[in-house]
Amino acid sequence: MSDTTPRSRTILVVGGGIAGVTAAVEAAEAGHDVVLVEKTATLGGRVAQMNRYFPKLCHPTCGLEINYQRIKKSKRISLFTLSSVATIKGGPGAYTVTVKTQPRHVKPNCTACGDCATAAETEVANPFNYGMDKVKAAYLPHTMAFPMRYVVDPIVAGTAEGEKIKAACKVGAIDLDEAESSFEIEVGAIVWATGWRPYPADRLTAYRWAEMPDVITNVEMERLASVDGPTKGRIVRPSDGAEPKRVALIQCAGSRDLNHLAYCSRICCLASMKHAAYVREQYKDATVDVYYIDIRAHDKLESFVQRLKRDPQVRFVKSKPARIEPGPDGNPMVCGENTLTREVYAEPYDLVVLATGMQPSLAEDDRPAIAADFDDYGFVFPEGESIGAGVSTGALDVSMSVQSATAAALKAIRVVSAG
Amino acid sequence: MNAMSPTPSKKYDLDFARWVYDNVDGGDRMALCMQCGTCSGSCPIGTQMDHGPRKLFMMIRAGMKEAVLTSNTIWNCVSCYNCVVRCPRQVPVTYILHDLATVAVREGYAQATESDNARFGKAFWWSAAKYGRTDERLVTAKYYFSFGFGEGYKKGMANLPIALGMIKTKRMHLGMPHKCKNTGELSKLLKKAAEMEAKKHG
Ligand SMILES: Cc1cc2nc3c(=O)[nH]c(=O)nc-3n(C[C@H](O)[C@H](O)[C@H](O)COP(=O)(O)OP(=O)(O)OC[C@H]3O[C@@H](n4cnc5c(N)ncnc54)[C@H](O)[C@@H]3O)c2cc1C
Ligand code: SF4
Ligand code: SF4
Repeated sequence: MSDTTPRSRTILVVGGGIAGVTAAVEAAEAGHDVVLVEKTATLGGRVAQMNRYFPKLCHPTCGLEINYQRIKKSKRISLFTLSSVATIKGGPGAYTVTVKTQPRHVKPNCTACGDCATAAETEVANPFNYGMDKVKAAYLPHTMAFPMRYVVDPIVAGTAEGEKIKAACKVGAIDLDEAESSFEIEVGAIVWATGWRPYPADRLTAYRWAEMPDVITNVEMERLASVDGPTKGRIVRPSDGAEPKRVALIQCAGSRDLNHLAYCSRICCLASMKHAAYVREQYKDATVDVYYIDIRAHDKLESFVQRLKRDPQVRFVKSKPARIEPGPDGNPMVCGENTLTREVYAEPYDLVVLATGMQPSLAEDDRPAIAADFDDYGFVFPEGESIGAGVSTGALDVSMSVQSATAAALKAIRVVSAG
Repeated sequence: MNAMSPTPSKKYDLDFARWVYDNVDGGDRMALCMQCGTCSGSCPIGTQMDHGPRKLFMMIRAGMKEAVLTSNTIWNCVSCYNCVVRCPRQVPVTYILHDLATVAVREGYAQATESDNARFGKAFWWSAAKYGRTDERLVTAKYYFSFGFGEGYKKGMANLPIALGMIKTKRMHLGMPHKCKNTGELSKLLKKAAEMEAKKHG
């Protein structure tokens, strides 16, 4: 890059989860212009999909709400939802980035009254609840959406139903003709805060998640336990809606496994402690068996494990289950070897939760060729111009993600301030 | 692999684990075992093993050489490979068990020559090496009579109805044993392989 190349002091943050939002507000509050690009219709990322979060079991609003306020107050943050990075050219200090935006079909004057949803009839799979239920084709992504604005699914554009939805909006916010668009921006540094996605449970064939409705994943458990989830917060069996009496939690489902994710996903042991707590809070008689290789409660979180160990209805079984079989009554039966007693067991359960791990959300094809390096697992390798925040850089919990995002903001500021 | 562990006479040998890592087929990966239990839980005959692979690997680490080499686990493995497919550390459990069985034979443990599975393995190998094929009748006969004539006769008579049923459904044939085309070449090949192994590991 020659010295005459104009430099930009704007910072691009890709991904609007807790890490991206934190990096954006930190950089903006330090006096830099920030462009925040989020692929979905709302900020919040996976944190918004949690029922509660450790260590203090607070509601996700605690962390998100305050940051939304900071974004609202800041004049330096430009937010683009339903947007992603298409191409990147240039180098540190002077990147030209093309951003592509998918149509929301709802303009900013939406008041979130919900009249459009009342008018809509078609239902689409609800990604917020991992497809466990459906939403109307005109919907609010979730109760904590930011921006607080509805989305109309393109499926109804150009249909009579679409026109009916449009007519229902009193403020005329619906624009069914909106098309995909793109624009270019000049930025000096790029922070990748693209987060994670759950490891696909259907690949763990021995655990039969795809075949057995009462074998669910930990992210599905978070939604089941949430008041804004598919069951309004009641933890029940997906097959028949019954209250589970015997629940099994299976740790390291796909993590620490060379056939799947070679690394420890770090948060799933503690996530399962939450799940044991959720079940025990709802059902006095229920028992929970935690199958583990070793419980990894990082940092100060050991006390959370100890709390659950004191509950006589929570049993810890040192064993990585070999497989799940359908039992005589069709219930899932967890089979394996208890490594402390050497007993080979086959235990029936009403509900089995797989503690699936986190993998980087940027798929191999989506990884940019410049402005980011990646490690063998596809996590952003932070060095030089490659700046990552949160789980895009490795398996982290929320507080560690926030720390890494603050560090990322500082690195980005250094890049745009150099030269 | 070496013919013998460093001190075959020792019951306990704290160097045994290191020796297994370096010399047993797949032993280098056994070093990565994290004692999760998936292998023993996956085993279709896990309840018929005295220890199962996971515990056996722990015993190797604990230097319990004799207990390992006299265990029925190394003989009862049926090579289904369930454990190998599922092991999160990609430990080739099956290879290790089979190679430990050959170590047990070489070191002359009685269990390694007298157990049912050891006798059957021997009969199987005899037929495979001699004919290039396994002949059901001869393998079975050889196995039965390895217990002595009287015992062999008794076992044979007890299983006669099964044999007749197999003949009827053409699962067992009468007449000359099955053979591969050129048994002479086969025995030359096996001899050469034995020479190579002896030379390589002495
Ligand atoms: C079952 C489970 C329970 C958990 N419970 C807890 C808990 O109780 N406490 C705790 O501290 N942690 C918990 N965690 C961890 C927590 O979810 C993460 O630490 C947190 O989500 C990290 O935030 P993030 O912003 O890095 O990533 P994400 O939350 O994944 O956010 C990434 C954002 O980037 C967007 N994005 C992705 N790709 C692109 C792209 N190409 N372009 C634009 N935008 C993109 C996504 O849409 C998303 O909005 C749990 C994890 C699991 C699996
Ligand atoms: S955090 Fe626990 S469940 Fe998750 S991969 Fe690590 S050890 Fe396994
Ligand atoms: S499955 Fe693999 S890692 Fe687990 S105990 Fe068996 S050999 Fe060890």
